[in-house]
Amino acid sequence: MTRVQAGPWAVAILAGVAMAAATVLDESALSVYVLLALTASVTVGVTLLMGHAGQVSLGHGAFYAAGAYAAGLLAKHGFPSWIALLVAPIAAAGLAAAVGIPLLVLRGHHLAFATLALHLIFLSLISELSITGGDVGLQAIPPLSFAGVTLSSVRSYAYLSAGALVLVVVLARNLLVSRPGRALRALSSSEVAAASSGVAVGYYKLAVFALSAGFAGLAGGIYAFYMGYLAPGSFPVMLSIEYIVMAAVGGLGKVSGAVAGSALVFLLVHGLSRVSTLSGMPGTAPIILSYAVYAVLLVSAVLFLPGGLVALLLSRWERPSPRSQRPAPPPSEAKPSDPATEGVTSKHGSFS
Amino acid sequence: MNAFFSYLVHGISVGCGFALVASGIIIVYRVTRVVNLAQGMFSVVAGFAAATLLGVGLPHGVAELAAIATAALVGFLTGCVAIGKPGTNPQASLIATLGVGVFAYAVEVLTWGDQPRSFSGLSGSYDLWGIDVPKQYLLITLVTLVVFGALEAFFERTYAGKALSACASNPYAARLQGIGVVRMGLYGFALGGALGGVAGVLLTPVQPISYDSDVPLFVNGFASAILAGLKRPVLGLLGGLVLGIAESMVAGYAKASYQSSLALLLTLAILIVQATRREALHAVEE
Repeated sequence: MTRVQAGPWAVAILAGVAMAAATVLDESALSVYVLLALTASVTVGVTLLMGHAGQVSLGHGAFYAAGAYAAGLLAKHGFPSWIALLVAPIAAAGLAAAVGIPLLVLRGHHLAFATLALHLIFLSLISELSITGGDVGLQAIPPLSFAGVTLSSVRSYAYLSAGALVLVVVLARNLLVSRPGRALRALSSSEVAAASSGVAVGYYKLAVFALSAGFAGLAGGIYAFYMGYLAPGSFPVMLSIEYIVMAAVGGLGKVSGAVAGSALVFLLVHGLSRVSTLSGMPGTAPIILSYAVYAVLLVSAVLFLPGGLVALLLSRWERPSPRSQRPAPPPSEAKPSDPATEGVTSKHGSFS
Repeated sequence: MNAFFSYLVHGISVGCGFALVASGIIIVYRVTRVVNLAQGMFSVVAGFAAATLLGVGLPHGVAELAAIATAALVGFLTGCVAIGKPGTNPQASLIATLGVGVFAYAVEVLTWGDQPRSFSGLSGSYDLWGIDVPKQYLLITLVTLVVFGALEAFFERTYAGKALSACASNPYAARLQGIGVVRMGLYGFALGGALGGVAGVLLTPVQPISYDSDVPLFVNGFASAILAGLKRPVLGLLGGLVLGIAESMVAGYAKASYQSSLALLLTLAILIVQATRREALHAVEE
């Protein structure tokens, strides 16, 4: 039997590693860590959508922005900040459900265009409306507080975003191993066949679209409190494309791949941009390098590694050749070490 | 009333630019079934290249043609990435063209920087029946008409054009006739690149371009292509003109920042109506 998703142990290890990292990293690393955890949470939703519902979304940055603006607006207008954070995923999911009803009759490149259009329209809306502060955006969003405790340190947001990531991974995983998950897999291979087997295709497509938008909204809500200000410029179209790159690198449809792919791509781009600012290169060097990395990873993942770069690395790990008994761990902090594959490795070892 | 005509003139020339981009999208789509998300990039590359070539002293005309040739080459290379590998399905190709577009950002910023660029086109304007028509607008319109005339002749009168059309209507039958479908797809991409390039060199004097101008160019081009039903490139001219004039009127009488949202909403509405009708037809057939 082929495993569809990593087991509960993988989730437990991810949770452990995520929390441990939030505890031990220093301040400057934590600021990267928070953004990474938030990005990974969105990517999990994108991979669900692309890998299991067969929908290409070029607009998930808009749902991230929707969550952020919902949380920021409520918090600024005097609502308790934890309520604002709870509303963020609901608002994003609600937006997705509302636009999804007309949009999801579209497929393939039409849907890709429609979601790109959604992102562009959303951007022009938030930079036009006075309630969202126009191009200036929302300033001075109060920090998150709950029951008298105010989250003000970077570390507290690291714990919060790690918690959000674990929650998102658990939800996605549970969804995929459940009956709706089987329905989703059925409809991603053939909508007609799935429909004729009694799968409510339209309902499931809409539900997974809303769920993945909800993940993005949750991450966006945390982002709003973490940054303290929001502007349309923080949510460029490129943001939506970055999630696709990460999902593709992780292998479409794989929850653990989405987390590992986000970590790999995010840390690579971040590391390169840090290097390029150090060595006296021109001011445009960071954006040149990040665009080049995103592009090369995206094209090579789509054309040559449909299972994702992470799957390739894991399979190397799974079958160590005699020449390399101690294979190098996946580069950077690609976290989720799948216990299933670890088990296979040790079994291999005992047989040989 | 005078304002109306000046919006109209502006709309027609901008619409011609959209139409050129749209025809590139339509040709690539018809031949390869791939929507080329990098189509707007061809215009950006051509605009930048023309600005550079004019800067080093090449005369007008030569510089623009060289820029268009560059765009055609970039189109060909984009095609190689998108459909060059056998067995790439249209969705993977779509994402691959997205990757090419992002890669082009890196190359463009590296070569030309991240600031908008422009070059001077024809200056001055004619007075036609009391309407002030800038010469560059007239040039855009005339060149577009000539290009579309040439396209029509190419698809109707030449073997290569017919071979491209054959791939578009039935790739399997085309292959049986000895037409290399992938090669034709690459030619389609090169032609799409050249058409995008024409739009780029014509529009840059009117509207300075920067490396991320490809998004509005693609969006408006795709919207025009959808208006034209993604069928014949020549219909793209109609789609582009309708969209260009509509946007110009909205920008003139309402607010400039609404124009792109209007184009997007219009396109979405058409797409959704088409898809719903197709589904309804499907249900009736069953």
